[in-house]
Amino acid sequence: MAHDETRRNFLHRSGQAACAAAIVGTGAVLARRACSGDAWAIAPNRCVNIRLGVTGADKVCSSCAEQCVLALSAVRAVNQHDRCGRCCICPAYFDVRSQVGPDGLPTKKLCPRDAIIRTPIGEIDPYDPLNNFYEYTIDDEKCNGCGRCVMECKDPAGLGSIRLEVRYDLCLRCNQCSIAQACPEDAYVRVGPQPAPAEALEGGHA
Amino acid sequence: MQLALIFLATLSVLGVSLLLPQPATAATAEEDYARQASVAPQPDDIGAGYEIPPAQRVAPRAAWWYVVDMALLAAALVVAALIAHRWRRRWMAVTLSLASLAYFGFFRGGCVCPIGATQNVAAGIADSSYAVPLAVLAFFMLPLVAALLAGRVFCGGPCPLGAIQDLVLIKPKQLPPAVDRWGGKFRYAYLGIAVVLAAAPAAAREFPICRYDPFVGFFRLTGPATMFAFGTALLAIGTVIGRPYCRFLCPYGALLGVVSRFSWKSVSITPDEELDCGLCTEACPFGAIENMRAKRATCLACARCFAHCPRQQYAWGEIELYEIEQLTQQAADKPTDKKPATRPIEEPVA
Repeated sequence: MAHDETRRNFLHRSGQAACAAAIVGTGAVLARRACSGDAWAIAPNRCVNIRLGVTGADKVCSSCAEQCVLALSAVRAVNQHDRCGRCCICPAYFDVRSQVGPDGLPTKKLCPRDAIIRTPIGEIDPYDPLNNFYEYTIDDEKCNGCGRCVMECKDPAGLGSIRLEVRYDLCLRCNQCSIAQACPEDAYVRVGPQPAPAEALEGGHA
Repeated sequence: MQLALIFLATLSVLGVSLLLPQPATAATAEEDYARQASVAPQPDDIGAGYEIPPAQRVAPRAAWWYVVDMALLAAALVVAALIAHRWRRRWMAVTLSLASLAYFGFFRGGCVCPIGATQNVAAGIADSSYAVPLAVLAFFMLPLVAALLAGRVFCGGPCPLGAIQDLVLIKPKQLPPAVDRWGGKFRYAYLGIAVVLAAAPAAAREFPICRYDPFVGFFRLTGPATMFAFGTALLAIGTVIGRPYCRFLCPYGALLGVVSRFSWKSVSITPDEELDCGLCTEACPFGAIENMRAKRATCLACARCFAHCPRQQYAWGEIELYEIEQLTQQAADKPTDKKPATRPIEEPVA
């Protein structure tokens, strides 16, 4: 009986030591190359909607809008105002292939959810439409990140001021992100575990 | 001849006029297209006192939130260990479960949880270019360390998945021990599959534990319909059969079970001298009490057994000394005492 007890005790101790060694070992190996935080981000040069060289709303990829587990996707279009051309006929705001109306502007809007707000800046000169400026803001509550405006606002017609970005206040940081799973270009990356993507567009003017 | 001369003269006049600068028309053209097409206009070009608004961005989650998460997890593990080994009160365990459900479940949204972190760790070990975030590593490690010291206190305390199941367990029925034993083996298979898929090369990497997580949809109040169906089914079963996910599915529970087999301290049901009345065995919804002792590997530190122990009740001053004998006698009189695990649980006698 006493012998049995020591045997059990020995096994218990050995198991304890083995578990401790495994925990400390794994922890040490992984902690040495651990990263501090983690967040999902879109790699602009991989995303088909953002990267240069692809245009046309028919080539748009709307995985971000459709795949997110949230009702309203955690991805949205963001207009970088300092790079916006503030054009009168904005190819991201208007559907430039639609019928031109009596005011000389296309009659249809590009955004299927009407999430872009167009505000004139200063006085509008009706005889000089091309030199008027408009501010384009994206309605946070309407935009679902479908990427149509992003696709249109780049070379040759646009300046590439609109990009798809993750809204970190909504993103749940799912361990297995469904957008990343569905992204055809592997453009949805987990920064931290993976390196941060480059911001500047390859082949762009700025 | 004359006609040809006139024609040449006209041509030369036209040519000269084309070569000459055209001040009037050139000026209007420049006015019309004053804007450079390749550069964004800045406030000076726009005029009207316009200021460029900032881009509508939200910063990623601040780093100190991860510190808060880790500190709260560590604190919850310590509290759970104290409940299981010293304070022994069920209401404390319920309170801790509710708090964990609120913070780690609903507030934090569930991700990355220690259960899912198993996959990140597996990916990190297999792929040296995959960095596991420090907070995720801590979330994986802290419950394991706690398990080595005090048993599966993570399951009974901070785990939001455990808490949501524990709180719906209204009418616990015990399962035959064989079902518990063999059903529990499925967790190891699930763990194995998850580790293999997570350790796959980056292109084929898959996190099945997260994909088939049944409860995270409840915490976020949004998610795919299949997830809600699975979660609701588990919760419905969980009203009668205690914690089905923990006992038969949870891969991290399997890992914690292995470690807690060798835990430094184990749950001892009676506070001092053992009574061996078997009342605790009846009280355990998880079949974790065998031969009137809590099994290290399956005990989830829920603190239900303590409240059913006559000696514990006496120690708390809830019953008199003579009542211990009455209670043990009642337990002994029951016909199927030999197989307490197959018997449905009675209402608490106290």
